[in-house]
Amino acid sequence: MAVDLAFSGGGVSSTDLDGPDGVRMTWNSWPRSKVEASKCVVPVAASVTPIRASPSLVVLPYAPLRCKPPCAAVLNPLARVDFTAKIWICPFCFSRNYFPPHYAGISETNVPGELYAQCTTVEYAPPPLDVAAPPPPPVFLFVLDTCLIEEELGYVKSAMRRAIDLLPDHALVGLITFGTQVHLHELGFADMSKIYVFRGTMEISKDQILEQLGLSVAGVRHGAVAGAPGYLKGPQANGLHRSTSVNRFLLPASDCEYTLNSLLDELQRNQWPVEAVNRDLRCTGVALSVAAGLLGACTSGTGARIIALVGGPCTVGPGLIVSNDLSEPFRSHKDLDKDAAPYFHKAVQFYDNLAKQLVSQGHVLDLFASALDQVGVAEMKVAVERTGGLVVLAESFGHPVFKDSFKRIFEDGEQSLGLSFNGTLEINCSKDIKIQGIIGPCTSIEKKGTLCADTIVGQGNTTSWKMCGLDRSTCLTVFFDISPSERSSQPGIPNPQLYIQFLTNYQNPEGQMRLRVTTITRAWVDGSNTEELVGGFDQETTAVILARYISLKMEMEEEFDASRWLDRSLIRLCSQFGNYRKDDPASFTLHPNFSILPQFMFNLRRSQFVQVYNNSPDETAYFRMLLNRESITNSVVMIQPSLLSYSFNSPPTPALLDVTSISADRILLLDAYFTVVIFHGMTIAQWRNMGYHNRLEHQVFAQLLQAPHDDAQLIITDRFPVPRLVICDQHGSQARFLLAKLNPSATYNSAAHEVVPGSDVILTDDVSLQVFCEHLQRLAVQS
Amino acid sequence: MASSSPPFASGPPRPRPGFAPSANANVAGAPQISQIGRPVPSSAAPSAPLQPSPFSAPLPASSRPGHPQFASRPPAAAFPQGLVASNGPQGLAAPRIPPPTHAQPTPPVGAPASIRAPSPSAASSQAQAVRPFPGSPPAAAASRPFTSPPSSQQFGRPPISHPLSGSPTSQPPFGGPPTLQPPFAGSHPALAGLPTTQLPFNRPPTSQQFGGPPTQQTFTRPPVSQPYMGSQPYAGRPSPPSYVGPPSSQPFPGPPTMGAPSGTPAPAWPSQPRQVLPSMPGNMQAPPRMFGMPPGTPGHTMPPVPPAMGNSPLAGSQISTPSKIDPNQIPRPLPSSSVTLFETRQGNQANVPPPATSNFVVKDNGNCSPRLMRCTMNQIPCTGDLLSTSSMPLALMVQPLALPHPSEEPIQIVDFGESGPIRCSRCKGYINPFMKFIDHGRRFICNLCGFTNDTPRDYYCNLGPDGRRRDADERPELCRGTVEFVATREYMVRDPMPAVFFFLIDVSMNAVQTGATAAACSAISQSLADLPDGPRTMVGIATFDCTIHFYNLGRASQQPLMLIVPDVHDVYTPLHTDIIVQLAECRQSLEQLLENIPNIFENNKVAESAFGAAIKAGFLALKPTGGKLLVFQSVLPSVGIGSLSSREAEGRTNVSSGDKEAHKLLQPADKTLKAMAGEFAEYQVCVDMFITTQSYVDIASISVVPGTTGGQVYYYYPFSALSDPGKLYNDLRWNISRPQGFEAVMRVRCSQGLQVQEYSGNFCKRIPTDIDLPGIDCDKTIMVTFKHDDKFQENSECGIQCALLYTTVYGQRRIRVINLSLPCTSMLSNLFRSADLDTQFACFLKQAASMIPVSSLSQVREHITNLCINILHAYRKYCATVSSSGQLILPEALKLLPLYTLALAKSIGLRNDGRLDDRSYWVSLVTSLPISLAIPLVYPRMIPIHNLTAKEDDESLLPASIPLSSEHISDDGIYLLENGEDGLIYIGNMANPEMLQQIFGVPSVDGLPSQLVLEQFDNDVSKKLNDIVNEIRKQRCSYLRLRLCRKGDPSGMHFMSYMVEDKTPGGLSYVEFLVHVHRQIQTKMA
Repeated sequence: MAVDLAFSGGGVSSTDLDGPDGVRMTWNSWPRSKVEASKCVVPVAASVTPIRASPSLVVLPYAPLRCKPPCAAVLNPLARVDFTAKIWICPFCFSRNYFPPHYAGISETNVPGELYAQCTTVEYAPPPLDVAAPPPPPVFLFVLDTCLIEEELGYVKSAMRRAIDLLPDHALVGLITFGTQVHLHELGFADMSKIYVFRGTMEISKDQILEQLGLSVAGVRHGAVAGAPGYLKGPQANGLHRSTSVNRFLLPASDCEYTLNSLLDELQRNQWPVEAVNRDLRCTGVALSVAAGLLGACTSGTGARIIALVGGPCTVGPGLIVSNDLSEPFRSHKDLDKDAAPYFHKAVQFYDNLAKQLVSQGHVLDLFASALDQVGVAEMKVAVERTGGLVVLAESFGHPVFKDSFKRIFEDGEQSLGLSFNGTLEINCSKDIKIQGIIGPCTSIEKKGTLCADTIVGQGNTTSWKMCGLDRSTCLTVFFDISPSERSSQPGIPNPQLYIQFLTNYQNPEGQMRLRVTTITRAWVDGSNTEELVGGFDQETTAVILARYISLKMEMEEEFDASRWLDRSLIRLCSQFGNYRKDDPASFTLHPNFSILPQFMFNLRRSQFVQVYNNSPDETAYFRMLLNRESITNSVVMIQPSLLSYSFNSPPTPALLDVTSISADRILLLDAYFTVVIFHGMTIAQWRNMGYHNRLEHQVFAQLLQAPHDDAQLIITDRFPVPRLVICDQHGSQARFLLAKLNPSATYNSAAHEVVPGSDVILTDDVSLQVFCEHLQRLAVQS
Repeated sequence: MASSSPPFASGPPRPRPGFAPSANANVAGAPQISQIGRPVPSSAAPSAPLQPSPFSAPLPASSRPGHPQFASRPPAAAFPQGLVASNGPQGLAAPRIPPPTHAQPTPPVGAPASIRAPSPSAASSQAQAVRPFPGSPPAAAASRPFTSPPSSQQFGRPPISHPLSGSPTSQPPFGGPPTLQPPFAGSHPALAGLPTTQLPFNRPPTSQQFGGPPTQQTFTRPPVSQPYMGSQPYAGRPSPPSYVGPPSSQPFPGPPTMGAPSGTPAPAWPSQPRQVLPSMPGNMQAPPRMFGMPPGTPGHTMPPVPPAMGNSPLAGSQISTPSKIDPNQIPRPLPSSSVTLFETRQGNQANVPPPATSNFVVKDNGNCSPRLMRCTMNQIPCTGDLLSTSSMPLALMVQPLALPHPSEEPIQIVDFGESGPIRCSRCKGYINPFMKFIDHGRRFICNLCGFTNDTPRDYYCNLGPDGRRRDADERPELCRGTVEFVATREYMVRDPMPAVFFFLIDVSMNAVQTGATAAACSAISQSLADLPDGPRTMVGIATFDCTIHFYNLGRASQQPLMLIVPDVHDVYTPLHTDIIVQLAECRQSLEQLLENIPNIFENNKVAESAFGAAIKAGFLALKPTGGKLLVFQSVLPSVGIGSLSSREAEGRTNVSSGDKEAHKLLQPADKTLKAMAGEFAEYQVCVDMFITTQSYVDIASISVVPGTTGGQVYYYYPFSALSDPGKLYNDLRWNISRPQGFEAVMRVRCSQGLQVQEYSGNFCKRIPTDIDLPGIDCDKTIMVTFKHDDKFQENSECGIQCALLYTTVYGQRRIRVINLSLPCTSMLSNLFRSADLDTQFACFLKQAASMIPVSSLSQVREHITNLCINILHAYRKYCATVSSSGQLILPEALKLLPLYTLALAKSIGLRNDGRLDDRSYWVSLVTSLPISLAIPLVYPRMIPIHNLTAKEDDESLLPASIPLSSEHISDDGIYLLENGEDGLIYIGNMANPEMLQQIFGVPSVDGLPSQLVLEQFDNDVSKKLNDIVNEIRKQRCSYLRLRLCRKGDPSGMHFMSYMVEDKTPGGLSYVEFLVHVHRQIQTKMA
């Protein structure tokens, strides 16, 4: 069985599996009752990419037509339209709505864009209320750690310079540097470098910050500073409110480029003395508070990002990760499990509050952590994820993982991430469907309604979510609950279709407000009809959503045994949907729609998401954040990497994710999402070392060597954050990046004859996929 | 040193100068001072015959030769530089040239030109309504111009012609006719207009124009006929100008004559010429005086009234009517202008020091210079009962770093090497000339606790036949009252601190708009040159409004960085380093910054001031080292820590409702600043505040900070950007360049029998015996009061030793030990004879100041009046019993006490109508005021300046002062009145236009500017006036705040409020006051 399944997993999917709507579900045919749903084992959930880039997207330059409240669903192709009566019937609430006068010309032959059948996803771009007012410029507030060694500081400075260079001219820029204290640079002060200094030890509220900066509404402390000669000419046409003189600190990139660059030139590492037995005192928490507070002075609706460049743990003040005593180690997963991490919960609480503040302001926190050590991503995760921020974890500011990722944020055109702001997602669904919640980079607005389920998964208890920051690839996982009400089950003909509408309001990178409407429909299936259910099963989505689900449970529930939970679920699922004779493992087969799932589960059990003890809490948090926000295709790669094999004998082919794929005369390209490994077989490596590829007669060899690099580059360019590229040779130390991901079908215990010559063994006691599947078969058929 | 532990914190090994248990001192062991050595009384006799020639000539022959010598004396290269320099800033030895005109060797005498004051703007003059002065007696005011008799007339009059008030001839001359007021009004009206030139004896012409005859008039009578003449200096003086500058108070000791023709380093203010007064003991006896004579002799000078030594009977038996007292005869200060030599001891006896305001040169031969330390009485009462009977205070004024006279021998530095100075092993008193060596020098008896110590082996020396050590005269610590010991490591808890100066400037809206910020920046910038040289001098700067702005000065060749601390509720420093840097490294960028600050904040609209937070921030910057924090503040602190509310308005309403608690507004508003100040002191941060304001700033609250840290308050109200920058600059300059010390600890020890009761002054006290002085300078005085805890033997001596451990600006740790040994007496008359008026009055002044915040003004006035009455009553009761009860008998030494008491009651601090801040400032000023400035503060000096040219001026620079009475002011006169702080120039509304043109450059009274910048014009009068002003500045160590006062407007009223001898709505006239005092004494006697 396993062999059959091997090749279909992973690999860069060339077809658009997500379809034009960007919605993928675990079950595309839904069981109709709660009992049946529970028999399905895998929860009914959808992975939504709210503002996915799509070439076929229709943009309508007018406001949408909405159903009457409280439904407020938007007119869509799935609505029934009575062209003569000029009436449309909302598929969600079945209300009848008259078309307004400007739809008078509607007829079967003349329908507006939103009613085209293929336009289940449309985007409205209603003209702004005030045409004259330009859209508010985006704000980039850099928060730069200065507790760095000179070399790192140099790297980060040059990264900053590049970024400033790439910023759109009208974008507003601010700079905060921090070490033991926080320095807020007043860029609009021309006479000399002027810095507001905040102490790192004390928690400081937004109101205090605004008052101290003279930005509070009531605060007349600083008076009309804007007119002073020390400042550049009055408020620029940037849409910022005039009375809040926040543009002392946030200036258009074109105006402050010189200032910023000279500031960077003069910037020194943290000057406060540090004893040899201590860590630098670094007040990341206060720095982020100050940044958030400063942005609080921006008018609401301004899209703003705090771009935090952090080179170490917060060691002082709120958000403390670890004390500054070097003899005190960082918290590990073990400490977290045993509740032996004294600062952890306090820090999480702090960042949670920060997240709330940022969300209420609609601003984003991006975290670029570059250190060999941990920096506290685990604690800051909440703030990054809730605000929809980006996160990159690298080991140095000089490392391409950071450098290239950082550059990507500011790049335009093809490579653009399409960073958008101030998104809100609303979901409408048919009756009988309730929403449990969302896992992913968003925050519940706590807008309760009849659609909210009692059980909550992730951000729940609402039908509306805020996404301060989102981009084209941002992906959310919505968990549904099927709970048919008494009434709906009774009357005659039940509607065979269910409808779900995703409404995403957001501010696109140009600053315009858009509304993306995606309406989907799926079929209800009676519980008895297993065939239909199986036919609608999406195993990739299931693997990813299960991974997300258990990650959440591991974080939320103490003593949660993820492996066991996965095993049980898998066994139940196989029992439920497999074809077998009872108690006869050999008779066990799975429908193709389920066939790869055991392998996904095998790899998920071995992945960084479940085996957290191999990683620091920071790394785990980082992996999970990306798992939660990436598309299904990418997330699958995180769970089960793809492996390509390059050899003289054949074109590049997908290879089994198995140690047996290693061969002396092959080059392997492993894409594990976070790392991309190019692995040279021993012979290849020897040839290369002897320089054969430089010889004319061995052109083919040179091409062979180059091919995986080109493919790796394709992967890298396409991906954010940029993965780490590891180039290694068989038996080299770096080969561990590959070996860790391979199925250990050959271990040091294996008999010599089982090992393919030229291949390798893995020094592990882990079971191999084959053993795993054997057990699964046995357990699934047990009565 | 770990910053967490306070310097000088407790701990067993901690050395303090002067710490030791003083219990069980052996009184009997105190050395007995024998009287054998007393000079024969007659030896001082020659002075008596000399005195009675007062009216013969303004310049008695005896004093004449002295004066030229002052002027022509060559500059003294005499002092060994090393010794002087080591005594603090070499200010004592090295001339300091005014900085603005760098290194100009001989700036004009009118050097305040260096202050770059803008030329006075022609301000429209006020209305010139002629009104009588409110305070003057109505009768006098009405008739004044025509009532004054020519003085020549009076000289001819025999005293007997005065109708005497029924008493025998022994009556004083001023028992005038009952209707004396204008005594000769009717008989000589025609003479009123006599030109000044006709006046004999060069008296100030003013006197001739008033109803009141000048004091000199009294001298007209033959002295022989006046039994009391022998004892009272006011009769025997050659009428020199009064208050001719006592050099003791000069910041820049120089010759009293300003001419400085000698070409020595210019004596211009501010400068420090090195000129030496000759010591001329032979010539000095011109005016008779008690000081300079051995004690015990004065009795001889007053044969006529044997039982009442030094009596000054004032009035006849019918004193019941004030008119019986001739206002011209009553005691007034008449100090000598000439320099005297004062030997602190003679023949093993302590000498009585000269008045603190006089000009004297001290020769230290056992007792310290009275400038450093003087006692309210020069003999110590044997018992506490005797002291309380006398009603006099027993207190010591210590001015430990007081400037010496340039002619004096510098204080010697003694280095005992590693072992440190020799000290008594029980009381830890320092070795001094009064420790008695016995047993062939093998042991010595401590004069303080009486303990017998073994002489350390390497300090052993044989005794000579006189019982003294043979090396006593070679060892300064055995023959000098004051020495300075080099402190060993034992006296340091850390390395001596560097000289750190941190400037803090208010840049809030008001400060910028009134020009205060610019003035402060300019003053600092110019003063940088006066900071001590060398790598140990560090500076820092910050500005503040509602936030605090630090500047990173450590960035060589780069623009300074402004670092803002916005949290004014919980402040911190924004940098670890580079806030305070070596002056040499940052001078250029600092100067540039100071130039820029006014521009940067030019349009600052922030009206709030976070003063408390700012000083806290400054403190935090200074915390690692300690140092001086110089704050330039302009408005009421309104935000952040220690913010204050405008209590003044509250006060006004309370006053109007007759609130008895009004004085509460003179107490600090809360304890915040006090607590902060305590912390500052702990870390050796001394705060000076320059308050340049237009409004109420609650000095009562904020002065706590300088008051606790050894700093001081400078007050410029209302600040004028035109006339005040000069004073601001000079005040700052003197503040940082005067001799001073850091991280000081002081303790006073005294012989068993007395104990220190209390210290008062600007310091912080953490343990009962010592006071901590983060900063101490030559102008600061500390009052120490004593009480008896035992009896002294008659004829014994009581030793008093003040030890000051401090760090010089150049980083040397020193112990200055100041010794005074005074005889003990059980005779009340001796106490009165040896009473020290100046010290006692300073003591009263400080007591009054300390009472002001806790008592109502009327209580304070009553209190000080009672102090005066009680003393006079004690004297009357116990020492002058033979006199008629109708006479007001004043002890000679204290004869001016009533006048000063009256003046004190009318001073700014005790007036009912003053502003709160003025009063609080006065209180804070008085707290650390030296004796030499105490009297001028309440009894200012007034000199006429409209007749400068008429004076024969080769004698003294300053014209004679005239009494503070409106009778002495005429409408066509111009007068200068100064009290050490302010200089008021009063212009009568009929002043000579030519004179106005010469002095002010305006042709008429109407053209006078409202704000005065004294310019020097090219004419003699102007030059002379500038010379006078500069001389006063030097004497007072203060750049006077010159203001114009014109008759008929508020400024004129202000001027008149200084006429303390006048009757005012709130107080008696001098004569009335004497009558009041007399009545009270009579009541008590009855």
